[in-house]
Amino acid sequence: MLLIEKLVKSYPGQHGQDAMLALRDISFKVEEGSFFTLLGPSGCGKTTTLQCIAGLEHPDKGLIQMGGKTMFSSRENLIVPANRRELGMVFQSYAVWPHMTVFENVAFPLVYGIKRAPTQEMRTRVLKALEMVELGQFADRPAPLLSGGQQQRVALARALVHAPRLLLLDEPLSNLDAKLRDTMRTEIRNLVKSLGITTIFVTHDQVEAVSMSDQILLMRAGKIVQQGSPRDIYLSPNSVFTADFMGRSNLITGVLDRSGETARAHTALGPISGVAGPALKPGASVVVVVRPRGIRIASTSESSGLNCFKARVQNMNFLGDVVETQVDIQGSKLTLMLNPYTAISVGQELTLEFPPERCVIVPSEVPSSCGPLK
Amino acid sequence: MNGPTVTSNGRPGTGLDQQKLVQSLLLVVVSVLVLGPVLVLIRTSLAPSEAMPFETLDFTLKHYAQLLQSPRTISLMWNTVVYALSSMTIGVAIATAIAWCTERTDMPGRTIVRILMFAWMMVPALVIGFGWILLLNSGNGALNVLFRELFGYLQPILTIYSFWSLIIITSFAVVPTGFVMISGLLRNMDPNLELAARVHGGSSWATLTRVTLPVLTPGLFSIGIYMFMAVVQAFDLPLIIGLSADVPVLSTRVYLLSSPDNGLPNYGLAASFGVLLLVLAAGLMWAYMRAIRLGERFRVVTGKAYRPKRITLGLWRFAAIGFTFSYCAAMMLPLLILLWVSLLPHYSTPSLSAFGGLSFDTYRRLLTNPMISRAIGNTIILVISSATIVMLISCLIGWFTVRSNSRAGKILDALSFLPMAIPPIVLVLAILLLYLNTPLYGTIWILVLGHMTIYISFGVRTMSSALIQLHKELGDAALISGASWLTSLQKVTFPLVWPQILNGWLWVFAHSARDLTVPLMLMTTSNIVAASTLWNLWQFPDLPGAAALAMLLMTALLAVVVPSQLYVSSRLER
Repeated sequence: MLLIEKLVKSYPGQHGQDAMLALRDISFKVEEGSFFTLLGPSGCGKTTTLQCIAGLEHPDKGLIQMGGKTMFSSRENLIVPANRRELGMVFQSYAVWPHMTVFENVAFPLVYGIKRAPTQEMRTRVLKALEMVELGQFADRPAPLLSGGQQQRVALARALVHAPRLLLLDEPLSNLDAKLRDTMRTEIRNLVKSLGITTIFVTHDQVEAVSMSDQILLMRAGKIVQQGSPRDIYLSPNSVFTADFMGRSNLITGVLDRSGETARAHTALGPISGVAGPALKPGASVVVVVRPRGIRIASTSESSGLNCFKARVQNMNFLGDVVETQVDIQGSKLTLMLNPYTAISVGQELTLEFPPERCVIVPSEVPSSCGPLK
Repeated sequence: MNGPTVTSNGRPGTGLDQQKLVQSLLLVVVSVLVLGPVLVLIRTSLAPSEAMPFETLDFTLKHYAQLLQSPRTISLMWNTVVYALSSMTIGVAIATAIAWCTERTDMPGRTIVRILMFAWMMVPALVIGFGWILLLNSGNGALNVLFRELFGYLQPILTIYSFWSLIIITSFAVVPTGFVMISGLLRNMDPNLELAARVHGGSSWATLTRVTLPVLTPGLFSIGIYMFMAVVQAFDLPLIIGLSADVPVLSTRVYLLSSPDNGLPNYGLAASFGVLLLVLAAGLMWAYMRAIRLGERFRVVTGKAYRPKRITLGLWRFAAIGFTFSYCAAMMLPLLILLWVSLLPHYSTPSLSAFGGLSFDTYRRLLTNPMISRAIGNTIILVISSATIVMLISCLIGWFTVRSNSRAGKILDALSFLPMAIPPIVLVLAILLLYLNTPLYGTIWILVLGHMTIYISFGVRTMSSALIQLHKELGDAALISGASWLTSLQKVTFPLVWPQILNGWLWVFAHSARDLTVPLMLMTTSNIVAASTLWNLWQFPDLPGAAALAMLLMTALLAVVVPSQLYVSSRLER
């Protein structure tokens, strides 16, 4: 449905600074009907990518195709302007026009847009879109009299009313309070899935990304770090950055001893068996990623087993759902999450087991930053 | 960078190409409006005086030599600086005192003072000047006659035709503008700064001198420079009072050289004086921009969560009221005398015996005079088309300066700002030189052109500061919905800033109506407007006629502007 090829975008330097490379050679593909998320910290290029897809910014180089039609091509010297791309978009600020009613806001694409509809049809379609977001009874209300959540629904209805090729969502949940955010997360996902519309979603929140997406594209400093399903990205990070960004991890540095599916690394704790990518060769400096939830408490008799370590509890932080626990293994500090009903207390000695399939061995960080354009 | 071009995809005239078209059009219009006159001015100052600027290829520095050698130049500069500095100082001092009383104390009558100040901003300086002449001229000035009868003085105690009278009257005339700027400054100051000083043990005097004043200094300083610049550029009061008082300043000198009472105009010398004034004004403009940037560092604007506690004046309240209302009386007097004169068939000083003869005959006479009707018709065309065209162009340029990062956007911004540094008298001289031999000269449209050029910088400032507060996504949302660029402006962006558009429109409307510089310099029999007719009637002299026309002009202005402005400000406060 959406094809992005070798997108490069730089911003001219301001106040004597060097130009910034916002996108460095971004390529990816989005399947029809997929919920596709661009994830990354601020400044990683995710919003720039979305703006390029929307046509609000234009890349320096590359190709953008939607449903086989070229929207941007630096080789063919072609730009289709934003208003011709037949898109729907929900903005971070919602951008619901305060001088119009809810109805007029949603009707806008059908009245002034590319695919105009005759008045009667327009009315039915707008009302249907409003029903869809459960705002049917608010049609005549002036937009400023809506709550944040309702404004967001208006923005969603406006983005969908003209049956766009793609739905673009630019951090739509970041302005909502925590409780509403949880509801809207499920609601948006269910709505776009029931319509079967291809959706591009931009966020910096890994919880949103994991819970909503079919595919996640993790970006950093204008480059793609990893692409995959939420499960892949969370459980099999390909880098320290991914592991760290997607949630808390214990990072244990070491040197790779044996590569492949049954790899082994030498660390300060001793040898740790785990899973390593095929690109890693023995002798490479690596990091073993173990999620706090991946660590098991073993019975003392297993203390000599594979990936088993003796640990002393240093600190326990009761958080309700879980107890965040700091342990010390031969001078290294690790975090694990314990059941709140656990009987373990500070100072206790434990045997911990890191099941090998839960230990992901990734290359230690290659420094790359969104530096000046050389 | 060679960006890809835009496809029209079947239907032309949508999206980026619309933008490019409008942008090039604006560039052409603004260049013609602004750069044309400036270049002609410089060319004329370098051409021999016998020839018109376009008829010769010769260059000479004769005029500059003459200007630099003449001892009168020094006295002109001196007059101008003394005049501007004293008027500015007195005006800002009065305005600060009154603004402080209305914004920070419990002085009674604050609202009425604020409304009066806004109303007086609309009163042409010319009208106030005429009023003062009627009050204070040495022969039969009303106040002088009154003093003579009360106290038996033979000599007039006050005289209008002196440098000091000019300074005082000018400073009174700039107070309302200063008041509006300074009260905005006071209102935007974070009251927490003062509260913090009080909480940490400062007395109210220490708070005022150690916190309030230092925090306000950069703002007051930039307002001072702005006022100084405005007085340097002022033309009408120096014309009607300064010339009779034999106090020529740069602006009146430029006028006399280009339209002398007898003899041929010396455009070359006038242009070189114009360049001198231009350089002075540009220097001031630069200082003003620096002061503003300095002020930004002290920016203490915060939310309007609550108003600062007003200071209880106690007995001082009488001093405050006395001061404020003396100023208000001083502003009312010239208007009252004009009202009086307009109701009499022939001029006479106010007295009980003349009361019986009061009638509206003068008004009737004016309104049936075909010359006056033409002037009124012209004025309506002038003010409405100037205001409308200026705001239309300003909205578009404002959009480009705020939203487009292109080089063309920056050029537009700079070009539209340039007229700010060009004194109107200089600009009109340049327009005169540029269009003298074209069919445009002598029509009302050349006045429209002049006012467009003068007020466009104001319009663009207003619109870019309005648009910068508007979230970019609002316009983007319209584009994504499939609307063309122009539709997105028309249906979303501009409707959202319409109070500011209306405000700007009213400002240009009022200033275009009260301006004498442009109509007088470009006056012919066919393009007279209210302001130039007022001047003609006064010179003729038909004092009741002039007074009646002044009253009509003022009433019309106040009737249009004050209610709309109140409406707009109530919309903006929301």
